[in-house]
Amino acid sequence: MRAGELWTSLERIVDLCRDEEIELLLIAGDLFHRQPLLRELKEVNGLFLRLEKTQVVLCAGNHDYLKKDSYYRTFPWAEHVHMILGSELEAVELPGIGAAVYGFSYMSREMQAQPYKGKRAKGLQPAEILMIHGGDERHVPVKKDEAVALGYDYVALGHIHKPQNIVPGKMAYCGALEPVDCNDTGKHGYICGEITDKKCRIKFVPSAARQYIHTEVRAEGGMSGSELKEKIKAVIERGGRENIYKIMITGFRSPDIRFDLRAMDVYGNIIELIDDTKPSYDFAKIKRQNEDNLLGEFIRQLEGCGEDSLQYRAMCEGVQALMETRRD
Amino acid sequence: MKILDLKIRNFGKLEDRQIRLSEGINLVYGENESGKSTVHTFIRAMFFGLERARGRAAAYDTYSLYEPWENPGQYSGAVRFACGGRTFVLDRNFDRYSRKTELFCEDDGEELSVGDGDLQMLLGEFSEGVYCNTVSVGQLNARPGEALAVALRNYATNYYASGGGDLDLDAALLRLKERRKEIDRQIKEDFRKKQADRERVEQEASYIWREMHRLQTESDNLKERIAYRRAHQPQREEPENNRVIDELRPGKWRIHPLEILVFVIVVVLVFMFIQRPWNYLVAIVLALLCLIYTWNRLKVSKKQEKSEPEKLLEEITPEEEKIPLEKLYWELERSEEELGEKQVQYNNLREQLEEMDEMGEEFWEQERQREAVDLAMDKIDELSLKLQKQMEQKMNDLLSEMISELTGGKYTRLVIGDGLKMCLIRDGRRIPVEYLSRGTAEQVYLALRMVSARVFQEEELPVLLDDTFAYYDDVRLKNTLRWLGSNKNQVILFTCQNREEEALKALGVKYQKIKI
Repeated sequence: MRAGELWTSLERIVDLCRDEEIELLLIAGDLFHRQPLLRELKEVNGLFLRLEKTQVVLCAGNHDYLKKDSYYRTFPWAEHVHMILGSELEAVELPGIGAAVYGFSYMSREMQAQPYKGKRAKGLQPAEILMIHGGDERHVPVKKDEAVALGYDYVALGHIHKPQNIVPGKMAYCGALEPVDCNDTGKHGYICGEITDKKCRIKFVPSAARQYIHTEVRAEGGMSGSELKEKIKAVIERGGRENIYKIMITGFRSPDIRFDLRAMDVYGNIIELIDDTKPSYDFAKIKRQNEDNLLGEFIRQLEGCGEDSLQYRAMCEGVQALMETRRD
Repeated sequence: MKILDLKIRNFGKLEDRQIRLSEGINLVYGENESGKSTVHTFIRAMFFGLERARGRAAAYDTYSLYEPWENPGQYSGAVRFACGGRTFVLDRNFDRYSRKTELFCEDDGEELSVGDGDLQMLLGEFSEGVYCNTVSVGQLNARPGEALAVALRNYATNYYASGGGDLDLDAALLRLKERRKEIDRQIKEDFRKKQADRERVEQEASYIWREMHRLQTESDNLKERIAYRRAHQPQREEPENNRVIDELRPGKWRIHPLEILVFVIVVVLVFMFIQRPWNYLVAIVLALLCLIYTWNRLKVSKKQEKSEPEKLLEEITPEEEKIPLEKLYWELERSEEELGEKQVQYNNLREQLEEMDEMGEEFWEQERQREAVDLAMDKIDELSLKLQKQMEQKMNDLLSEMISELTGGKYTRLVIGDGLKMCLIRDGRRIPVEYLSRGTAEQVYLALRMVSARVFQEEELPVLLDDTFAYYDDVRLKNTLRWLGSNKNQVILFTCQNREEEALKALGVKYQKIKI
């Protein structure tokens, strides 16, 4: 289902380029999550054939890197689609629109080299754009000052799924067109920009059909399972039912309640539900009341570590077990 | 707790008897068979009930022993006691037909229910077993039974080790163990789900793998055919022998019709132009030669048909023979293209499988939770062991203090070993209690009983001593009575001798004498 949506999203972008008569469409790598099939390339090419006035420049990223027998190497793209196939920086000159795009492709899953390093803009065309896929330690590290100083009008970055404006008007990650991983939270879309007389203006445009939303739902002390379910339902309704949720239940629950997490997914759009509630024990008070017995000593030995620590969790588990099995 | 009044309506040989007890030492004096032990048993029966044994054992059990001969309907009594600042009356009828137990508070007249455990609440940790093994000391029977060892051990692991209060360590540990199991189950469940996902992908991969094989065979086949066609087409076009006549021969014909015509003309001409009789001979020879040639041609063709490649050609239907080589090339290309596609798909799936091997966040979360539960269990174990050691230490100190007082400082250290094996320590040597004189052993056990009682008691219980001092010498008797007088609120001392009274008088300890 999701796969179909991703295609639709690309289709939407292509149609937009056609309708808005966009001159240049940049795809900064990882068009595919894995090695593309020939029919998939045909499909993409077919989509690009709709374009009338738009030039397309794309490179291969770390996911769809140029394997020895990659179809990228031999695929006959449409005339206005330009695939960069070298691992060294090369320029695609587009005199028709007065632009040159400099870029490179991945030959393997990782790439520590920085092919753009020291390669200044050559001034081949009025507008010059550097396209880099990468930016983390193992995938073409990018130092923003260095990259900006090379004299390109705009540096288009790919690889990181989250859209980010690195140097305003100069360098940005457009992010994944659609969120593909449950950690791709926030808005997703594309970057629309314009270069006129060496001046670049860019704008992020959200376009994804869905969002992955990480959210916390606070359980108040004494909340029952069904109340919590209602609350989660309300949160999802507020955030949009089309979105996909990862929900962390925080706060305090009555010590004797354990939530049945399976029952909480009302709309079927929660991919992960983590119960991080703490039993609503007042540890300090329990410690005071049990100053000289095992419970007090137990708390004394395990307290003082952060709430994420193993000790804190052990304290919760232990205190709960001791409190629940008390003799009346 | 303090026993104020005993009212015996009918119990054993005693009938309609009222005994008033006071604070401090109560000296219950009576000759042999006067009923001292009956009073002792009566007190126990009042607080803990008197159950009939089942079957044959019933003939000699305590119940039958004290069942009155006359008026069995009056097999009953009452006890007034003070506990927690309030006074209660406990009334029991032991009779098998009209048995009942009543408990009420004298101060506010509140009816309490023994069945609901109200009496148990007043008695605290004292069960019948603990009572018999601590505060109630029978005749020549100071050594506590195994029941005390068990009770002390339980107490050590639960009450004391948890520091008293209402914690139940065993139950808590059991709860944690269950929790661990639950987490383990969850992990297993998730793993199973993941495995199912994996299997799905693997299945897909193996399907593609088979498909790849099929395509591989298909393209191999095509390649062979193309290779054959390429090897044989030129061969067939190229003449077998370079005679002009073969060149002229139409492809399908094994022998050209012109050849036959030429043969016939030649034979006829020879027949006509050569003189008789030679013409017959030459014509016949020529005709034979022509026949042999023709026969040969036909034979060669036949032979060719049967050759290996010919067979392959035969398999190919004539129609397919007409398929142009280009089409085979095209098919091969298509098949290889598809094969490549499958290859990529297959590799992608393998990659996906590799990524699936990595454990997800949820797994680590659960793993951490399990570790936390383990840590909690370890900590509780560790602490309970520590507290248990502390309790042993404390008990040893109390025991040592008491034995030192009873023996007039002869022994200063008494320690508890496993299973309540008592050891005196003197001059750095351990002396097991079995090696001691009967009298000293009795004192050691009395000390153990008194110290254990202190461990269990929320509110001190009266101490009942039934002719316990038979083996005590006068000095130690005095020491013991002094200790009881100054450490215990209420002591009920049953005796048939006068030495206790004399000793008490000599010590100047206040006491109340009750004669039975």
